[in-house]
Amino acid sequence: MRVDSRKLRRSLVCWLALSPLVVVVLFPFAVMFLTAVKPAEEVFVFPARWLPSYFRWANFADMWDAAKFGIALKNSLVVSLSATVLAIAVSIPAAYAMARYPFRGKGFYRQFLLVTQMLAPVLLVIGLFRLAAMIHWGEGNLVDKHISVIVAYAAFNIAFAVWMMSSYFATIPRDLEESAWLEGCGRARAILKVFLPLAAPAMVVTAIFTFINAWNEFAVVYTLIRSDANKTLTVQITDLVAGRYTVEWHQVMAATLLATLPVSIMFAWLQRYLVKGLALGAVK
Amino acid sequence: MTRISFGRLTPWLLIIPSFALALFIICYPLYNIVFQSVHEVSRFGLLKGFCGLDNFRKLFEDPVFVASVWRTLWWTLGVVGGTVAVSVPVALILHQDFYGRGIARTLVMLPWSVSLTMTAIVWRWAFNDEYGMVNVTLQRLGMIDAPIHWLATSEWAFPVEILVGILVSVPFTVTIFLGGLSSVPGDIYEAARLDGASAWQQFRKLTFPLLRPFINMAIVLNVIYVFNSFPIIWVMTQGGPSNSTHILVTYLYEKGFRLGKPGEAAAVSLVMLVMLMCFTMIYLKIQPKEGEGA
Repeated sequence: MRVDSRKLRRSLVCWLALSPLVVVVLFPFAVMFLTAVKPAEEVFVFPARWLPSYFRWANFADMWDAAKFGIALKNSLVVSLSATVLAIAVSIPAAYAMARYPFRGKGFYRQFLLVTQMLAPVLLVIGLFRLAAMIHWGEGNLVDKHISVIVAYAAFNIAFAVWMMSSYFATIPRDLEESAWLEGCGRARAILKVFLPLAAPAMVVTAIFTFINAWNEFAVVYTLIRSDANKTLTVQITDLVAGRYTVEWHQVMAATLLATLPVSIMFAWLQRYLVKGLALGAVK
Repeated sequence: MTRISFGRLTPWLLIIPSFALALFIICYPLYNIVFQSVHEVSRFGLLKGFCGLDNFRKLFEDPVFVASVWRTLWWTLGVVGGTVAVSVPVALILHQDFYGRGIARTLVMLPWSVSLTMTAIVWRWAFNDEYGMVNVTLQRLGMIDAPIHWLATSEWAFPVEILVGILVSVPFTVTIFLGGLSSVPGDIYEAARLDGASAWQQFRKLTFPLLRPFINMAIVLNVIYVFNSFPIIWVMTQGGPSNSTHILVTYLYEKGFRLGKPGEAAAVSLVMLVMLMCFTMIYLKIQPKEGEGA
């Protein structure tokens, strides 16, 4: 076996061409990490330096208390997980219908989903806020309650979830289900025994991306959630920066790093599924 | 008999839960926005009475609003145009077979996984006047003599935000293009090469036309996302310095939740909706009619 010298040369050219973009992509991660581990007195020196004189890991512990990171983390998890479960639960049947049945109104429903994508949450925040203020819940209304954010996230993720899953479902051969019917299986049983196991990976992947969307969302929580006890990570960390006279940047960067890294790793691991799913949906 | 009629209803029964949820969360707020936009509304959402198109009149008399409309168009054009211009070559490279392609793809996709809010916070720090790493690096490399006040001067702040907007839009766009490229059969290139077509001719005559529908679709989706993009500008400059970076969404948010004018903010929402609708209509007009897929 010889190393393919043409491929080697091609690789060099490709990497060289990509290098400016790679630098720009990695730049924020470097800034985050190197600021997060700097001792406070080295963050604000002029001229500033890239590298810290020593790694001060205690920044993370300090930040955890100062930023109430634990509470915000728990809130982010609760909101994102619940929104994902709700969005996937209502989207699976819809995606199945879109992939398996020809029916009147299918084109209409697809257009409707496109419109929901167009009406970004931030366009509707004024109305969403009034809606939450109008509905009675417990002692007061739905403002500053997680449930309002969860339902809103689920609704705004339906289009993406239906789109992704129906394009995957359409690739699962119909014959498998049909042969199960012939063997005396009911339609529901055929779905349960034959279709669902095959479709499970697509559902999991879609669920993870829905989770990431919810985890990263800003405008809706920023509007609907008011108290520190209920804030999610995006809002909590923004509050460390916005409208402050002095910003503890080393703590802020420690917080953004902790909030970002798990999701980035999950995403890096799964991104190839996204290429496939979106492409299948696009050409349909 | 009942079986058959039930069978015809089945797809609708399957769709109803998602349809109902989306309809509820979108229609009521939409109705409410229309309602508020023609009423005088107090800071706390109390209705003070019908006021016709007064809210809209106030908007169009506000120079900041008019400037924001234009800036929104530049923002959308700049970010979407820049994104497509960067993404086509990047997707073509990532479609090649080379060592480390998996790593390269992952790296290019990475900004997608980071919340726009976090990205904006990190760049705000990186573009800090005295302590930010951008100025530090440029000075070390000898490219600038004194620190540039990136986010504090109106000439720099908006272009910087457009660049950040491009960076975060590239991954999604490249993803769409890669999907498109993977659906192109490889043997047509073989045939083209045998016919003596150069690399540039192959791109212009084969790749580009085949990529065309995907470029259209990337433009449409990006226009919608970028037009509505809120966190980057809100976190980096909050529309400042002296209102020089407001786009419509940030103007809307400031009116509604900072200056306590929900009626006018609702009117901004409607203006934005009309703009999006115009765009969609134009797009559907120039888009060749596609058949109803089964």
